[in-house]
Amino acid sequence: MKHGRILGMICLIFTVLAAPTSLFAASAAIDPAALVAAGFDHYRGTASISRVEMRIQRPTWQRTMRMQAWTRGTSESLIRITAPAKDVGNGTLKRGKEMWTYNPKVNRVLKLPPALMSQSWMGSDFSNNDLAKSDSILNDYVHTLTGTENQGEHTIYRIESTPKADAPVVWGLQRLRIRDDHVILSQEFFDEELVSVKKMTAHEIQLMGGRIFPKVWKMRETGKTEQYTQLTYLELTFQDTLPDRTFTRNALIHGGR
Amino acid sequence: MIGNLDVVTMELQLAWRNIWRNPRRTAVILTAVIIGVWSMVGLGALMRGILIGMIQNNIDTLTGHIQIHQQAYPDDPAIEHSISDPETWMSAARDALPAGSRWSQRIRIGAVVSNARHTRGAILMGIDPAAEARLSFIGTAVTEGAYLADGDTGGILIGRALAQQFDTRLGRKLILTAQDSDGEIVSRAFRIRGIYQAEMADTEKGFLFVNRQSAQQLLKLGNRISEIAIRLPAHEMAVPVANDLKARLAGSPLRVRAWPEILPLLKAYVEMFDTFILIWFIVVFVAMGFGILNTTLMAVFERMREFGVLKALGMRPGRIVRGVLLETLLMLVLGIGAGNLLGLATCWGLSITGIDLSAMAEGVAYAGMARIITPVVWIRDLLRANLVVLLLGLLVCLYPAIKAARMTPVAAMRHH
Repeated sequence: MKHGRILGMICLIFTVLAAPTSLFAASAAIDPAALVAAGFDHYRGTASISRVEMRIQRPTWQRTMRMQAWTRGTSESLIRITAPAKDVGNGTLKRGKEMWTYNPKVNRVLKLPPALMSQSWMGSDFSNNDLAKSDSILNDYVHTLTGTENQGEHTIYRIESTPKADAPVVWGLQRLRIRDDHVILSQEFFDEELVSVKKMTAHEIQLMGGRIFPKVWKMRETGKTEQYTQLTYLELTFQDTLPDRTFTRNALIHGGR
Repeated sequence: MIGNLDVVTMELQLAWRNIWRNPRRTAVILTAVIIGVWSMVGLGALMRGILIGMIQNNIDTLTGHIQIHQQAYPDDPAIEHSISDPETWMSAARDALPAGSRWSQRIRIGAVVSNARHTRGAILMGIDPAAEARLSFIGTAVTEGAYLADGDTGGILIGRALAQQFDTRLGRKLILTAQDSDGEIVSRAFRIRGIYQAEMADTEKGFLFVNRQSAQQLLKLGNRISEIAIRLPAHEMAVPVANDLKARLAGSPLRVRAWPEILPLLKAYVEMFDTFILIWFIVVFVAMGFGILNTTLMAVFERMREFGVLKALGMRPGRIVRGVLLETLLMLVLGIGAGNLLGLATCWGLSITGIDLSAMAEGVAYAGMARIITPVVWIRDLLRANLVVLLLGLLVCLYPAIKAARMTPVAAMRHH
């Protein structure tokens, strides 16, 4: 729900695939760990600039925000709100495991203390940890292939990821569905009793900025049908790199370039 | 002449007979005294019980009698205000501690605990299991699972209320997140080894126990610690021993505090309660005192002619005063005796099970009280209650006694 890591999911929204590696060459024995790595690598590498719309849907209200995001590699990102007007200028800077937020109304940059890391990010179904801890799925889990299914010309791999014994992760299990072109279709999070907690799904997979990319992402808490957070990419471009000055506190306050 | 002892015996006999000349009136006033004393003893003991429960509770709940911290820690319990080289300081301080004292090193740092569905702030306690068990409540508080074993670096103890809130149980994992000594955010998984119960639900939610070594490792503290807690053989030793320690550690970067200093609010509470008990005694007495005065006054007025005759026969006024006061004294002693017995019996009855306030645990915790209240009878309170009734009782009866003594035979003849 509010904590744990959605591993890169938000990150991958702002990050982008390096050239897809040809991992799944002709069936043979498939290594599930490599599959997961390839899936996440699909959104990694180089740098990106995007415009995203985030809709937070609740039973009695909904809220839509627009934001601009810059990412470089897996660990650096800068997000600034561009709409609605009352939130303009709010931003989040992430570097490594650390995060800072900026609120223009109080004109303060705040480094997020541990207590806030598991809190909701901008009131959405994503937590700050989801942004900050992105490598967890690759380092803290053991992956097993549980099955495949066919969808048109694509093969979809179903993978179960169980955390290593002492890994500092709250989840008891994660289930992933990864398409053979490395697009992650869904990621579901389970607690230690193996009861589903929340699920992230990808929709409207299409060519964006020159890559196959899901235009819409949805994060939904299990059992709550009228409550979810949806991210829609309005614009997405990839670049080889972005300058260092984009990921500084100064940029957080004055806007990224 | 008759001996002194015989006079006293005779006077007592007279007084005894005089009280029972009107048995109904005496019974009424006796009842008033008994109920008054009973309530003083009973409620006094109950208040004392609440108070002692609070102190005990606070000292057990990780306060101890004396704590030693780095200078700045009490005002800002941040990780950078840790004690380096605790062993050195401890060996310097050891001589000041009376025999039977126990001490333990602790890490005490704010952390965030989470599982898949819940998250909450709590205090992470890094403890030496064996030493801590002899010092604070946690040694005997684990009701499910087991207490931390030495060297069990991946185990954690949590409170029952937290386990309920987090929907978790023994063997499950919890993730602790905190800021390490470099300011980096670190987290680590711990398995629930035991679930403890504490007096207050707040304690159960607020404190997590892990081995000191794992906490030091997680927070990159090396051998630094947050505090040294000391438990002395008796509550009263706290302040003098703390002063001695302060003198010995003067000039060091450490700060020594005894429990009244650590918990100033509790200290103020204790003092307030003390006064409150006395005020309560006096209020009860004022109600009772008017009854006593009234009765004695009536008894005296009824016997005015008798006093007149005594005066006419040459009795000295002083002996009349003495006679009346003796009657009052007998009544008071009877009432006080019965009231004390009743009060003590009530306390004894209540202390078998204690008064269980668990049903109102939240409100009780808010007031800082224990879940179960056991009345505690202090000799001091008992003496105070009895003396208040006895002395003030005699004092108010001085008025009718003097009135009787002043009666002249002539005035008495005209009295109806």
